[in-house]
Amino acid sequence: MTNPVQRALVGRMGGTGRGRAFGAWLGRKITLPQLRRMSLEHVPWTPFRRSLAEATVALVTTSGIHLAADRPFDLTGDATFRVIPRTAEAGDLTISHLAYDSRDALRDINLVFPLQRLRELEAEGVIGRVAGRHYGFGLCAKGERLIGPGREVARAMKNDGVDLALLVPA
Amino acid sequence: MGLLAREIEASGITTSSLALVREVAVEVRAPRMLYLHWPFGHAMGEPERAEQHRAVLRDMFSMARRAPRPGLIVDLPYRWRREQYPPIDDWAADSASFAAGLVAAIEASTSATVPG
Repeated sequence: MTNPVQRALVGRMGGTGRGRAFGAWLGRKITLPQLRRMSLEHVPWTPFRRSLAEATVALVTTSGIHLAADRPFDLTGDATFRVIPRTAEAGDLTISHLAYDSRDALRDINLVFPLQRLRELEAEGVIGRVAGRHYGFGLCAKGERLIGPGREVARAMKNDGVDLALLVPA
Repeated sequence: MGLLAREIEASGITTSSLALVREVAVEVRAPRMLYLHWPFGHAMGEPERAEQHRAVLRDMFSMARRAPRPGLIVDLPYRWRREQYPPIDDWAADSASFAAGLVAAIEASTSATVPG
């Protein structure tokens, strides 16, 4: 009995020998490939098909960045995100995150949120376009709480025509 | 971080991620991961060093273009506060550090999947 799905299936099949054998067979034939597909081993893959000079690029940072005018993150743990417009300047932004020393990042926000660098690359024609919206996350120890917000961000990026997302940690 | 990258990638958008802790880079299983041995709060480097930030961004772009399969972790060899970052004149070309790191990452992942 090698995996939990198999064990659960066999359990449901009840006490009969035939039920058990069927459950084991089903586990091998059907659930194992599914489990493999769904497990952490599976990493999604979208090849980069645009040329960089035509690509729309967005930033996601987990360093607690948000507009100073926006609601701060809960410093004890927060799975929500804040939208940061492409026009945001360093003076518009602040950091709500206690798990790292943010003094240098507050001096130069590009260290954790290189929006200004991206705008420069757009002006130079290196990248096609800086997306209209970028995303700041705070400290969140429970990864599974990020699934919903992650999907929301992904949908917003699709709407904005984003080709490439750069993820920058704290 | 890895979870966010996976959700975004699954929606049809290419992702390129940075990690500052190697164990985290391995754990989170982002589609494309670059690892830098730099302090927290400094993913792009040091304050007011635009060429350094640009060097990291260039490697993130290279990762988006060049990684041949999901789950690779490319180690970038840049030493903290002890590197020079010359201006980049060809953004279509990979840095030598990235190119070497990608080859090493592919070799490491290939040998890891050989049975026995």
